[in-house]
Amino acid sequence: MLNNKIKSAYIISAKALARFSRMIFIAAILITNISSSIIAQVTEEVNLFSPVNRLKFGNHLFCNKDYLRAIDEYREYLKFSNNDTARFKFALSLAAIGRATEALDNYKGLFFSSIFSEQARMEFYKVNFLMEDYQKFRSLCTMQSYLPEKHKSEIVRLNFFTYLIDDIYLPDSAEFINSFDAEDKSEVADFYLRKKYPPYKSTVKAAILSAIIPGAGKIYTEDYAEGITAFIATGVLSFIAYNNFTNNHKLRGTLFAGLAVLSYAGNIYGSAASAQIYNAGIRFNFESEVKLYLNKKNYFIPVHNFLCN
Amino acid sequence: MKIILINIIIFTSALFAQDYLQRQYNHADNMFQNGLYYDAITEYKRLQFFDFEKKYSDEINYKIGLCYKHGAKFNEAIKYFAAAESEAVKIDDIYEIKTQIIRTNILRRTTDRAHQLLNNLEADPAYRDKLNDIIFWRGWNYMFADDWDKAAEAFAEIDPNHPLKILAEEVNKKQYSVTFTKFISYILPGSGEIYTGNYLPGLLSLSWNILWGYLTLDAFTHDRLFDGFAVGSLLWMRFYRGSAQNAEKFAIRENIKIANNTLRYIQNNYEGLKP
Repeated sequence: MLNNKIKSAYIISAKALARFSRMIFIAAILITNISSSIIAQVTEEVNLFSPVNRLKFGNHLFCNKDYLRAIDEYREYLKFSNNDTARFKFALSLAAIGRATEALDNYKGLFFSSIFSEQARMEFYKVNFLMEDYQKFRSLCTMQSYLPEKHKSEIVRLNFFTYLIDDIYLPDSAEFINSFDAEDKSEVADFYLRKKYPPYKSTVKAAILSAIIPGAGKIYTEDYAEGITAFIATGVLSFIAYNNFTNNHKLRGTLFAGLAVLSYAGNIYGSAASAQIYNAGIRFNFESEVKLYLNKKNYFIPVHNFLCN
Repeated sequence: MKIILINIIIFTSALFAQDYLQRQYNHADNMFQNGLYYDAITEYKRLQFFDFEKKYSDEINYKIGLCYKHGAKFNEAIKYFAAAESEAVKIDDIYEIKTQIIRTNILRRTTDRAHQLLNNLEADPAYRDKLNDIIFWRGWNYMFADDWDKAAEAFAEIDPNHPLKILAEEVNKKQYSVTFTKFISYILPGSGEIYTGNYLPGLLSLSWNILWGYLTLDAFTHDRLFDGFAVGSLLWMRFYRGSAQNAEKFAIRENIKIANNTLRYIQNNYEGLKP
């Protein structure tokens, strides 16, 4: 009897133990699976398109000079957060790909109570300069619209350069040259003198010279080969015409005289055109040199290296 | 039983949960396959930026290179292919990337560079079994270099009846010999232009040469030596030389037209591999 009781108690406890261990086993499996699932979910939760990640990626693109794509990332980021650094980089990216108007709008957004106020104002002037509306640039300078307080001198220098590119009267030389640093003065003085006294050739003088001696106008405009050819061609045609007339070959004489007159008149016109081409070349070379110089100097604006460090 | 079922569901969901990089890769690939190359580049670059373990690095560089190539940004494409090549390990992958660089050079028409790269590939003993493939791309390179004769020779090496060989031979036959065109123009001014199908300029050239030639010879026959030299050198010779130069120009222009038409035909109708 006692044995039976002990036996049944043993069986009951064994069953309880088995049930308990089974529960432990199931619980362990459940915990493992749920935790692995949670880990997987957490991994899945990393959103590459979250505003923060967009900003990070935009910065990466910006520093790799992929401005077109950086713009998209900054735009999406700025929908969620008005971060000045992001807006400044956004505006810089827009300016870099030539979307000047949009860049200007975004720079304006940083003019007041922003840590980038000074830089934005400088870039605002730079973009205005690059838009090549120099009259507008000068009026902005005169009205002192959004002028950067700490970098006024840089904008004044840029303003002086508009006079070198535009066809207007130059400011006083002392005022012009003295606004630049000592290291830039000699080059700026050279630009100033070349603008003030451009080595142009007179179109009237070229035409008159060619009227007196065919080809002389072209030699004056430094088009030597054309000048010599024009001289020989007009001379030979005139001589042939004269020779034919003296030998009573009237038709041939008239034909060659016509050709000689054409050559003579064409050469006068050509000399005036040659002077204009020469002057256009001088202007083009001068403007190119000025723009290259400004580009080398980053338009007198400090480079924002800190943005990619 | 219920617990086991729940367990299975949770376990499988955890097992099949894709990580965000894989999803991003699929997303970018989807764009690539749909021809949205600009967006695909953005998404591949995003993946590359967030792939800190560089799990997809060489593959992404290759794909970005392909996108740039499809968008005709050949310089960028080569830059990314070169990056992919430096990271690739498998010999087949390296070969694939190398041929992509060659194909991009062909499209960019930097055919000398493509030729040099093909030579390097041919000289490499690792790619002995790819000789036909290398010859095939050499043929394409010759076509883009406007050397249709050599292109036909290259394709004939692979197969004497290769469709591109037949096309290259046809172009070679159709194209005008520039030397011959110039030569006949010196024999009879205007004939070169007529030979290249430019009848009006040819007849005008011939007429001017007849007129000034007659006046020159007439001057000499009447002992007006100065007249003869002047008209001869200033007018006749000018038109005589001009005729030959014009004929040369026309021949070159017509040859470019024939070559471009053939390339356009190949682009639209040839079903084999293209650069």
